[in-house]
Amino acid sequence: MKIRAAAAATCVVLALAGAARADTADGDALIGRDWDAIVETARGGEVNFFLWGGSDTINRYVSDYLGGVLAEEYDITLNRVGLTDTVEAVNIVNGEVEAGVTDAGSVDLVWINGENFRTMRQGDLAWCGYTATLPNDALVDWSNPAVANDFGVPVDGCEVPWNRAQFAFAHDSATLPEPPRDMGALLDWIRANPGQFTYPAPPDFNGSVFVRHVFYHVAGGADRLLGPFDQALYDEIAPQVWTLLNDLEPSLWREGRTYPTAITQLDQMFANGEVAFTFNYDPAQFGLAVDAGIYPDSVRSYGLTDGTIGNTNYTLIPVNSPNKAAALVLQNLILSAEAQLEKARPEVWGATPGIEISRAAPGIREAFADLPSHPSVVPYDELAAAALPELQAEWIAAIEAGWIENVGR
Amino acid sequence: MRAARPWLLLLPALVVLGGLFLGGIAMAVARSLGITPTSGLSGFTLDAYRAVLSDQDIGLSLALSLWIAGASTALSALLAVPAALALRRVARGPVTFLFQLNLTIPHLVGAIGILYLFSQSGSFARLAHAFGAIERPGEFPALVHDPAAIGILLTYVWKELPFLGLVVLAQLQSLDRDFEAVARSLGASAWQRFRHVTLPMIAPGLVAASALVFAFTFGAYEVPALLGQNHPQALPVLAWRAFTDVDLDARPEAMALSVLIALVSAGLLWLYLRAFRAAPR
Repeated sequence: MKIRAAAAATCVVLALAGAARADTADGDALIGRDWDAIVETARGGEVNFFLWGGSDTINRYVSDYLGGVLAEEYDITLNRVGLTDTVEAVNIVNGEVEAGVTDAGSVDLVWINGENFRTMRQGDLAWCGYTATLPNDALVDWSNPAVANDFGVPVDGCEVPWNRAQFAFAHDSATLPEPPRDMGALLDWIRANPGQFTYPAPPDFNGSVFVRHVFYHVAGGADRLLGPFDQALYDEIAPQVWTLLNDLEPSLWREGRTYPTAITQLDQMFANGEVAFTFNYDPAQFGLAVDAGIYPDSVRSYGLTDGTIGNTNYTLIPVNSPNKAAALVLQNLILSAEAQLEKARPEVWGATPGIEISRAAPGIREAFADLPSHPSVVPYDELAAAALPELQAEWIAAIEAGWIENVGR
Repeated sequence: MRAARPWLLLLPALVVLGGLFLGGIAMAVARSLGITPTSGLSGFTLDAYRAVLSDQDIGLSLALSLWIAGASTALSALLAVPAALALRRVARGPVTFLFQLNLTIPHLVGAIGILYLFSQSGSFARLAHAFGAIERPGEFPALVHDPAAIGILLTYVWKELPFLGLVVLAQLQSLDRDFEAVARSLGASAWQRFRHVTLPMIAPGLVAASALVFAFTFGAYEVPALLGQNHPQALPVLAWRAFTDVDLDARPEAMALSVLIALVSAGLLWLYLRAFRAAPR
């Protein structure tokens, strides 16, 4: 039975993998090999890239730009597989490995970070230790702790940075010209303007980040909360946070009796003028929504003077990927200064580079400096001036569970 | 040879049903008990069921799911019978087409439509504002993401009413109308004819179809996920949340919840069908 199931699964995967020329499931044989030899091995193959598919602009960048370069220069076919949530790809890899498919998985590359990365490490589902093999790895500043740690978990050569992101708030300057600029002022504003603010219920990604900002506010900054989960410290701070948030409820949308279940719902309510603020970990989304006619042109975004939380997101090769050589070529392309520049153009994506621009060639550096900015998107440099670190995944899980237990019900 | 024929014809369907449906349920049961297909029986545990049943939200979620499934089935059936009786008289044409049309629209699309119409910044709220009935979106009554699950019920009634109506209509059209004529000639009032002649004859189809509606609305995820509150959440939404929890250890709980949903649903259907079979005609 076991063999038959594995054989059946293998047939399915082989059918999916189609014309893959060379099976490069044995990744360790690639580590440290000459780059040109790896490219030659990958040539003519394909790579299945699983990533959140909710943005047309991002999808176009991946399919057309990255897929185009791969096809032209390396004769590699890129299959973009859209997800509503990265955890779906984690579930696929986990299910395959549990079923004994250890070298013929269907996922070759995932866009990932944070809790999902921790889950991949927890289940030994990530291929590790290869990053120095990529020529463009030289553009990555691994000495920056915000890059070398993914939500407090050491990267350990298990993934490669793609973008940096930092949380920002959006408001309509036509109806609210002077928004509150720090967390204390925001809380006062909410109390003074009942019914016009809410946040998505954790475990929604962005709602969870908002609650962490309140956590930092109550704790008097992020410094005490960094490092491994500390139950005593959590027990000291969490009750104050829940009290604050519960006391805030009468001033929230629908008196806090219910919360939006996803950031898309908050975005929709903001677009319709039901609430005065929305927020996002990827401020480029505000500009895209304005260009799409969903938000008015008068929408502006900003960070808090006491800081907003920033992170890095990555691409990761699952341990059972059969096309590791092609995945490496794609990762190296993603890391290239040219691809990072293309991705940074506001009309393409407007994403903040994951590489260190000062290490790129002079021409690229100038092109980055000349990029036009979108009036609705707060410039990254301005945000980065007051950046807060992310917490470790155990902290985040505890805060989400605590919110659901004490505020959400 | 002749005896084997029906089995041969059934075989493809049985392979799909047995292999995928029963296989899927068997996998879910196994994983809910901590058994993964490749690691054998070593991990057998009831922890997932204990965790799920000791969660104080499970009762609320069960109540919500029962309310959603019960109310939407009852409302749809209540409205479908008179609609079918009327349709039998006005005859086919555009009205029947309208009834059939929405069978082709997915639930998700219907739910989005309800959201656009009934949310506090939706079409009806805008109309109310245009007529000066409300000043701000918040003054419009909460009809989606609301405690009584009105938005979810609206979606299901909109979707299931035509389904039940068409089933009842099909049954009505196959009936011999002489029975009703006889009852009328014997002096039965319209209500008496309906209660003692028509209803018993359409009851089997109505009961079977409404059982389908109940089972579907009890186990469906997408509409309550889109139009529900963040708390309490319908059982299938709870199961989905556990399945997409970042902690791999929550996967068995998702499976346990799914198994419980299937058990409760099957148990209720059995009781329902038994009650109707036993009922005096």
